[in-house]
Amino acid sequence: MYIDLNRKKILIIDDFRDFRKGLKNMMESLGATGIDEAASGDAAIEKIAAVSYDIILCDYNLGDSKKDGQQVLEDAKHRGLIKYSCTFIMCTAENTMNMVMGAIEYQPDEYLVKPFSKEMLLNRLEKVVKKKMDFGDIEQAMQRKDYLQAIAVCDRRLAEDNRNRFEYLRLKGDLLLKVGTYAEAVSLYADVMAIRDLPWARAGLGKAYYLSGNLNDAKEMFQSVVDDNVTYMEAYDWLARSLEELGQLKEAQEILMTAAQISPKSILRQKAIGEISYRNQDYDTSEKSYKNAVSLGKNSYLKSPSIYTGLAKALVEKQSGDEALSVLGSIKSEFRDDEGAALQAAIGQGIVYQKMGREEESKKAVAEAALLFESLPAQVPAEVVMDLATACFSIGDTDKGTQLMKELVRNHHEDEKVISKIQGIFTDMKLSEEGAKIINSTRQEIVRINNQGVRMVEEGRLKEAIDHFENAAAGLPDNKIIIANAAQSVLLYLQKNGRDDHYLSLAGQYLAQIRRIDPAYQKLPKLLELFRSVAEAAKQ
Amino acid sequence: MTAPGEGIAFPEFLASIVHDMKNSLGMILTSAEETVGACSSLGCPSSKRLSQMQYETKRLNNNLVQLLTIYKMDQAQYTVHITDNAVSDFIAETILQNRPLLDYRGIDVVTVCPDDLCWFFDNNLISGVINNILNNAYRYAQDRLRIAAEEQNGFMVLTVQDNGSGYPESMLRSTEHDLKGTSFRTGSTGLGLYFAALVAGLHKNKGRSGYIDISNGGELGGGCFSIYLP
Repeated sequence: MYIDLNRKKILIIDDFRDFRKGLKNMMESLGATGIDEAASGDAAIEKIAAVSYDIILCDYNLGDSKKDGQQVLEDAKHRGLIKYSCTFIMCTAENTMNMVMGAIEYQPDEYLVKPFSKEMLLNRLEKVVKKKMDFGDIEQAMQRKDYLQAIAVCDRRLAEDNRNRFEYLRLKGDLLLKVGTYAEAVSLYADVMAIRDLPWARAGLGKAYYLSGNLNDAKEMFQSVVDDNVTYMEAYDWLARSLEELGQLKEAQEILMTAAQISPKSILRQKAIGEISYRNQDYDTSEKSYKNAVSLGKNSYLKSPSIYTGLAKALVEKQSGDEALSVLGSIKSEFRDDEGAALQAAIGQGIVYQKMGREEESKKAVAEAALLFESLPAQVPAEVVMDLATACFSIGDTDKGTQLMKELVRNHHEDEKVISKIQGIFTDMKLSEEGAKIINSTRQEIVRINNQGVRMVEEGRLKEAIDHFENAAAGLPDNKIIIANAAQSVLLYLQKNGRDDHYLSLAGQYLAQIRRIDPAYQKLPKLLELFRSVAEAAKQ
Repeated sequence: MTAPGEGIAFPEFLASIVHDMKNSLGMILTSAEETVGACSSLGCPSSKRLSQMQYETKRLNNNLVQLLTIYKMDQAQYTVHITDNAVSDFIAETILQNRPLLDYRGIDVVTVCPDDLCWFFDNNLISGVINNILNNAYRYAQDRLRIAAEEQNGFMVLTVQDNGSGYPESMLRSTEHDLKGTSFRTGSTGLGLYFAALVAGLHKNKGRSGYIDISNGGELGGGCFSIYLP
């Protein structure tokens, strides 16, 4: 194979000038002409945002306490700055190799261990081009979130191509987990492990156990992965999650802290430590970790207002109320024109003032938060609504708090995690029994509405079912079960009665809504498939 | 100033210095390669000396990489990263890395490997082992090298043979590839074989571990190195 580097737009990222120069010479001797350089992660992101590069050569280590190559990749990919055809190669010293390969979500196209010759570099570039051709259609299907299609391509390749067999198996395992076919995923990983005991297969097995609620097996599996592979970072996070759900909060915190020692630059992990140590009343650790998350999150897409409110909550427990208020104050400048962030800041102020014994200011902040909440057009995350409800309870506004909780139950009536958190808050507020009653009656109300609609569908009264679910969905914008059933009734109607543009677009809206609430919702792939076949039929 | 025994431990200190040295060497290696490339096409009279320099630098670099890896294994900081590899691609890439030197010495390399042979191993580590063997071949082979891979009873055997004078008797006799054979007089430290044996042993599957074997003779009549991976 031959690739023409002339006219390709190339970016070299390294904090050492000499390394950049060496690499530039090497690329030029291979025929490259359009080469840009960046000396830091932030500078690189700026360049990537402005120019659509064909090839990016990025050093992993870009200086202590600065953004590393992995973060550059994550940031750029998350913001959609890197096109699919772009080749991203991570250059590493062999001592960071494992760290790079244990990265969670975004993987570079290839790795190169320093030092490397220009023949090696060319060889890797060619390899990536070939790989992009082999995996292009799967990647593209995944970007469209068309997971069933991606699985189908994996199956086809597995039948005909022996060379990348384990690569396809690994991808297929991920996809099976995404669409929620856990039993199938378990058997895929077990098959792989019968051939070879690979860490990703063990971790995959752990995820399948975790997602199907088998927490003890999940815990053991992830523990065994980290025991044998100290730098398999993803497994620590899953292990901590399993421990947390098993109620072993102290152990979960320990695992996350071990992971943060090995790989300290993950914003999400620092935030997770902040959260869990707060729950463990270890406010020193909580403060420290949230502060790490704040400083790592500067200029990162992963920064979020909840890191700031978390920090404020930890600070006020340490009698540093004033610092807590100033942290909340900085939310405004860090997240300009973001009403959701303003809401979180106001809730945080309500809680902090309350703890400081400044009743009037607390009431004022909570009232402001309640107003902001009403005016917000977009859906507010369940955790934020819970915080708002908690703040309402704590200033004595039980009615408003209860109303917010009811709304949450209505929208998440089958989500056990949300429900148990809601019950927990009621209990903290000494409203355990009342809370349980409210939760039960609200759940029953939604179940009844849902069952009525399902019966209509079963009895073939599709038009009626559509109206019924349309009504219900309007008041329950975050209830994925109701919306999925609304979508299904419309799609079944279309399947039976043929083309109807209004209904087809309605179904499309429902599907988009489900994807927003929970892109990994189990029923989504089947609905998408139904949608595709109905839309196909309408074209003819 | 920190007194000995305080603060950073000495081995750690050494390791970070070795790491720094390796970075410098990496830069020298890159420029050496450029210079050799530019020189030999111009028919420059110094290119023989330059290529000798390149060989020594590479050797130094390999040694440092091996030292660091051994240190990290010892500190339990190194995790073996096993992946599925197309063996013929792997061999081709390793030869590519050593191409300039082998070409310079006029060493002819023959590869014998089934096209569809895929095997599980740590690409990085095994590549370090084979690189080292090929670098030695620059010094010891006359003009021929044969790299072969095949499956044998659940092991993948990767063999590198040359038509040089073979391994010295003392090396063949020692079954344990430890560092006791270090000889400053002959310049042979045994590090390469020690590293290879260590790396082979880290590859485990279904209760079986990898190992290495050296002998003389073989197809080309010289040294013959084999690594067996389960």
